[in-house]
Amino acid sequence: MGDEELAKDLGLVSAMMIGIGTMVGAGIFVLPGIAAREAGPIVVLSFVIGGMIAMINALAVSELGTAMPKAGGGYYYINRALGPMFGSVSGMGDWMGLAFASAFYCIGFGGYLTGLFDGTALALPTLDLGLFVLQDIQIGGLIAGVIFIGVNYIGAKETGGIQTIIVSSLLVILAVFSFSGLFYFDWGTVITDGSVAPLGTTEILPGTALVFVSFLGYAKIATVAEELKNPGRNLPIAIIGSVGIVTVIYAIIVGLMVGIVPYDQLSEEVPVSQVSEITFGALPTLGAGPLSLSLSAIGVTGITVAALLATASSANASILSSARINFAMGRDKIVTDWLNEIHPEYATPYRSIALTGGMIILFIVALGQDLKILSSAASVLHLIVYGLMNVALITFREADVPGYDPDFRVPFYPITPVLGLLLSFGLVWFMDAEVIALSMAFVVAALLWYLFYARGETTEDGVLSQYILERSEEMPDAAVSAAEAASPDETRPYRVMVPLANPRTEGTLLDLASTIAQERENGIVHAVHIVQVPDQTPLNRGAEQLDRIDSESEKQLQRARERIAETDVEIETSTILSHRSFEEIFDAARQFKADKVVMGWGGGRPWSAGRAERPIDELTHDLPCDFLVLKDRDFDPSKILIPTAGGPDSDLSAEIARTLRSAVGSEISLLHVVDGEDEREAGEQFLANWAADHGFGDAVLRVDDSGDVEGAIADAAEDHTLVLLGATERGLLSRLVNRSLTFEVVDTVDASVILAERPSDRSLFQRLFGRQ
Amino acid sequence: MHEDTFDRVLVPIASEQDAESTCEALLEYLPENGAQVHVVHVIEKAGGAPDKASVSQREERAERIFEHCRSVLGETAISLETEILYGTSVAETLLDHAQSIDASAVVFTPRGASRWVKLLTGSVTENLLTGTDRPIVVLPQED
Repeated sequence: MGDEELAKDLGLVSAMMIGIGTMVGAGIFVLPGIAAREAGPIVVLSFVIGGMIAMINALAVSELGTAMPKAGGGYYYINRALGPMFGSVSGMGDWMGLAFASAFYCIGFGGYLTGLFDGTALALPTLDLGLFVLQDIQIGGLIAGVIFIGVNYIGAKETGGIQTIIVSSLLVILAVFSFSGLFYFDWGTVITDGSVAPLGTTEILPGTALVFVSFLGYAKIATVAEELKNPGRNLPIAIIGSVGIVTVIYAIIVGLMVGIVPYDQLSEEVPVSQVSEITFGALPTLGAGPLSLSLSAIGVTGITVAALLATASSANASILSSARINFAMGRDKIVTDWLNEIHPEYATPYRSIALTGGMIILFIVALGQDLKILSSAASVLHLIVYGLMNVALITFREADVPGYDPDFRVPFYPITPVLGLLLSFGLVWFMDAEVIALSMAFVVAALLWYLFYARGETTEDGVLSQYILERSEEMPDAAVSAAEAASPDETRPYRVMVPLANPRTEGTLLDLASTIAQERENGIVHAVHIVQVPDQTPLNRGAEQLDRIDSESEKQLQRARERIAETDVEIETSTILSHRSFEEIFDAARQFKADKVVMGWGGGRPWSAGRAERPIDELTHDLPCDFLVLKDRDFDPSKILIPTAGGPDSDLSAEIARTLRSAVGSEISLLHVVDGEDEREAGEQFLANWAADHGFGDAVLRVDDSGDVEGAIADAAEDHTLVLLGATERGLLSRLVNRSLTFEVVDTVDASVILAERPSDRSLFQRLFGRQ
Repeated sequence: MHEDTFDRVLVPIASEQDAESTCEALLEYLPENGAQVHVVHVIEKAGGAPDKASVSQREERAERIFEHCRSVLGETAISLETEILYGTSVAETLLDHAQSIDASAVVFTPRGASRWVKLLTGSVTENLLTGTDRPIVVLPQED
């Protein structure tokens, strides 16, 4: 067996047990009493509707889970699809939802613990601490909480068998319970005032909202999806299967309960114990005297033990999966990695467990007197996540993401996910206003967290915003700006790429590049050695020759590193073998996501020969980033001339001039050429404005009215050391490559020349169907 | 001790904190040339129940552990190999691996753990000592 399989040791049965074990605890043992009092006997229907809503969402989880069997479940899918803003909301929602659910399960456990010890020496007290009162059930819940948190913190060894044994014995006990219940079931008890819905059918959906917490467990299977064997098959079966099974169990058992005890008399804390006292009450006592064995007492105690096991496994699974969500969030930098440190001895994510545990304890103490708040808050937060998960699914399908290849696909797309979205958000509507407000407070907190913390840390953008931003021309403006606003801050490095071919001028280029990079806090220089190889030489030659090229290239790049090491700018290096060096620069700029390319021209650089496989026009009309092309003649940036006629390319020249001015204190002159004496005044006005707009208040302004652009530049260049020439028209670079540059001046002046060109912002339509 | 004991050692490392000190302690005992060091980290699996920590979370930690080891042993003449192992019993997984690479010895620094923690988590050291079919070398722990 390979390591891969060893790491994945959850089979179908184990996965199903996680789902059933997490769900069944709450639905059967805690909620029926409260829910029946609210909805009447028709609460059975509330459970069934809850199961149907869960099932529709389970389909979505199955598709997303088989496409991405990763730790983190819902959070992971939403963050990938919708980006880190919704990622933060879903991660926080899932996490807090689990904390609320765990507190709820602990209180459930506490209820049965109190019941078990009631009347014995171990009976739990009610503590009056002055400011607030801790009821006995809360104390039971706290005991449970501390134990479950401790078990997960220390990582007490738990083996697969135990989980399966616990859940199987639970199911057996429930089957016995149901069987015994059949004999006591009475339609007369169900029907009150001649109806199964004495409180009205309008109570069904609020009932569903209340009991929905009983269906939260299936998503836990997705949070441990990375550990599943054959997830493509087992994940959907386990998720859909466990939802189906618990829905049937709930319908049967809750149906029996309201047929045994009138709905308004069901215990709010320990309904199953109450019912079992009736159904097991007539069981005979074997033997007599002190050695007598009361089967009825055994039955009732058995049910109580089952309840403890069920609520314990629910709480345990929830605490455990909250740590998975923290880990997934930490990986995307939405929370700090500190939280996800693994304990050196216990090998557990102890900080994450401790933090989650702290919140569980807080919720038990602060809100534990009202089970309904805990369960509803857990439901609302999970429903928000489920709703978003359906949006994520639609996004993945519509954006046609490469690599999104689920083994299971939801039937009736897009109806199913749309329905899942509507039902999830719709069910929130039936929750109590205070619970919705409490949950919304967490959502707002998550948004603030994103804006003030995560946005600056995370770099991962979602499929949705990429989809919108890539189609910014076709999408409504509001969608584009929303997508931009929600995207993470640019924390990736500001990359100044320097294609190197000729060691003669690389020093100058690297200096220029590092000066530009230094301007930015996160600027780095990326030296790319482009090794031109003859066309007839295949690129995948023998290793020996490759090694030779690599070591030669390494030598040149080492020189680059040494040069940069004198500054405090970081440097990265790459070597590229190429037949077509000019195009290669464009490809490399795209591949490395360069922000600026600083390249040399002439001097025997292969790309100066203008060879390319694609038409140069097409290439240069779609620049991947800003390009600066240096024609070096003893580079000296002390006196800079910027000829300008406005436009984005001279903005770029201005930016570079400002960088050089702040780095070496360059003197700057601006030149504007007009066609005659009568335009001079307007020209002066234009230049003064341009100078002021671009921060050149102190520059020397020159307006030339000869109308001869090249002559004027050549004249002015006489007393300057560097000409910074922005393309006044599109495609300057392409004409440079074609040797059809109208500015012959580049070749005739004595000063060094930098040609600056910004990517064209022509629309996709223009790019495809015509030129500007 | 026989010279060959340190020829091909299996070095299990459990935590990032242990990695550098274990490797440094090891350096003092390894022969000058030709020693092979196999550093492994065992990811303990529950074998059918969800683990307490995500597998990929622990794989990332293992890579950081290996990185620490490379920083100590990388500059020496020692040939270093690293591997992540998975198993439900740490000791058993280690001993199986020692057999498969024909290790000359299993070398580690003991980890302190209180008695009740050992009771709950099981003592790897004890299981290693009782189950081994080759030399086990315990390096002194530096303070």
